[in-house]
Amino acid sequence: MINVSNVSKSFGDIQALQQVSFEIKEGEIYGLLGPNGAGKSTTINILNTLLKPDEGEVYINGLNVQTQKEGCKMLIGVVPQEIALYSELSAFENVMFWGGLYNLPKAALKEKALKALELVGLSDRKNDRIKTYSGGMKRRINIASSILHDPKVILMDEPTVGVDPQSRNHVFEVIENLNKEGKTIIYTTHYMEEAERLCDRIAIIDLGQIIAQGDLKELKEISKVKDILTLQLANLDSFNMETVKNKFPDLQQNGNNSLLIECNDLNKEVSGLIKLIQEHKGEIESIETHKANLESVFLKLTGKQLRD
Amino acid sequence: MFKLFIKDLKLFIYDKRSTLLTFLLPIVLITLFAFAFGAMGKNDAQSKPKNLLVADLDQTVASKKIIQKLDSVKGLRMVAVDLDKAKELVIKGKYPGVLIFHKGYADSLSEGIDAPLELMYDKAREMEIGMLQPVLISNIMESVGKETVSKHINKYLDNNFPHLDKGITNKIINDAVSEGENSPSIDIDSAVTLTSIVGEKKESNLALVQAVAGTAIMMLLFSVAGLGTSILEEKENGTIHRLFYSPLKGSSILYGKMLIAFFVSLIQLMVMFVYAWLVFGLDIFTNIPALIMMIIATGFAISSFGVFLAAISKTRQQAQGLSTIIILVMSAIGGSMVPLFIMPEIMQTIGMISLNYWGIQGFYDIFWRDLPTADIFPRILVLLGIGLVMTFISIRLFKKSILKIV
Repeated sequence: MINVSNVSKSFGDIQALQQVSFEIKEGEIYGLLGPNGAGKSTTINILNTLLKPDEGEVYINGLNVQTQKEGCKMLIGVVPQEIALYSELSAFENVMFWGGLYNLPKAALKEKALKALELVGLSDRKNDRIKTYSGGMKRRINIASSILHDPKVILMDEPTVGVDPQSRNHVFEVIENLNKEGKTIIYTTHYMEEAERLCDRIAIIDLGQIIAQGDLKELKEISKVKDILTLQLANLDSFNMETVKNKFPDLQQNGNNSLLIECNDLNKEVSGLIKLIQEHKGEIESIETHKANLESVFLKLTGKQLRD
Repeated sequence: MFKLFIKDLKLFIYDKRSTLLTFLLPIVLITLFAFAFGAMGKNDAQSKPKNLLVADLDQTVASKKIIQKLDSVKGLRMVAVDLDKAKELVIKGKYPGVLIFHKGYADSLSEGIDAPLELMYDKAREMEIGMLQPVLISNIMESVGKETVSKHINKYLDNNFPHLDKGITNKIINDAVSEGENSPSIDIDSAVTLTSIVGEKKESNLALVQAVAGTAIMMLLFSVAGLGTSILEEKENGTIHRLFYSPLKGSSILYGKMLIAFFVSLIQLMVMFVYAWLVFGLDIFTNIPALIMMIIATGFAISSFGVFLAAISKTRQQAQGLSTIIILVMSAIGGSMVPLFIMPEIMQTIGMISLNYWGIQGFYDIFWRDLPTADIFPRILVLLGIGLVMTFISIRLFKKSILKIV
């Protein structure tokens, strides 16, 4: 559905994107995860035809975004980072206005506007002015305003910025419903948990480069990040560690009475290890687990926290 | 309290717009009004000659001698034209009036009867005529000469007081023609007949036309400036990017903004004139085609001004500050605040750089001068020209600023 090939873009001396390439299949939710200034919005603006790349090519559903802009614009719905709505107009008026820019027949436009409002769960407040809405509700109208022309691809540029957790869940539900309808979604965020929850595949982007991409399992493999199990024993001296190590060679001593093991799948390993330790007279006082997640992947790949 | 004072003082100084509005704008307006009311314009008014038309229908030595005498007066320049042309020029507002030496003027002087001398003028320029009156009287009387005056007075006394003693008659004549404290003053009414030839037929008065046209254009500038600069608001709240995501072209966004400003301009002007008709009796039906064309041209020029303001500003706040200054200055020099005809000539010339000038003069032409549509065309063309130039510049500037997304 989307093919981005060796795209570079600079603004003066600042290299915003360097040889960025990725492919997205139809119906996928593809996450662009990176800190502020990583190049996520530049990528979105190239995909939505507003920015021209210095190098490389971008195709959406076979259309070149630079030479076939009009066609591409009809394929794309963009949910901007800002709440780009007219606060003095009602939700219905806003949705009708933004949808109307795509030259839909009036009857179809109205029907789609009502459907979009229903999808985001705000039909009952459709006649209220946007200025009376909460932040989360505005975000949902922000999404509804982008989908009236039934785009195949929806570009979402950090659509949950500044939203409380409950409203964020509402936004997630909307995105998941859109995906169920077959929409291909590109989702930029700097929230790991969002990317983990929503995205089928994730590209980690930093300093204008895609460092790694794949699903979470693939990213863990690429980054060699593993789940970690830490066990605190009552007395390590009375415990026959060598016997256990024969079966769990990665087990290491971590401080005085503490053991640590890194493994690919904690769920598989943990019960066997605990049973073996107990069999060999190990008295476990506490167990601490740390499942490998995007945060650890990101830290491993970039050497920095995502929110730095 | 002192800390609050220091903090607010800092904020005030850092806010360039407030500083500008607090100091610069009043200074500019004081300067303009000083010019307008003559405090500084006095010297200028004296140094620049005032043009007055003259139509010599008598074509005698006496009439030519007086015209020559008047033309030699410092600060006055007589422009000789035929009467019809002179009337046309006065009606069109090109000259304040025309001094007419009617046929038989010289004969009347020699016979000592009232000489047929008439000053036809534009009532809208009554103030200028008032300034010319003493100059005209003194110089005409000087040219006419003591002998002619003696004859005139003698004839008057013979007709009105036939039994008056000859000695008293001579005393009166001697006192009248001799210079000194006892010489009687001669009123312009007895020397020159004053006739207003512009607006006399109109029911509506000059002040009403000035109030409606001047105020309408100034208020329109304020409201349309806000609409034009809303494009900056769209930039600030992100909706302009969203518009770019749609199939709309960048230029369509600009034209859309101009269209709403133009529409509001038309409605606002129409409402104001209808109000003036209903409440104050302004005769708006005198020349409907010309009125419609003037409203359209004024609306177009003002709406392009609104978009132009947005184009030269980086932020909405900057545009608001700038619009206040520009609109007040244009209104002051263009005749919205003070009628142009009471301003010195130099100020009337400077006023031509403002939108208000062309709009107000156009409405004057319709409601006061009662000019035919063809004669109003030049003002309409100027307004349309201003609109086109500002639109062109705005589009160029927009392409470099707002229409670039980063």
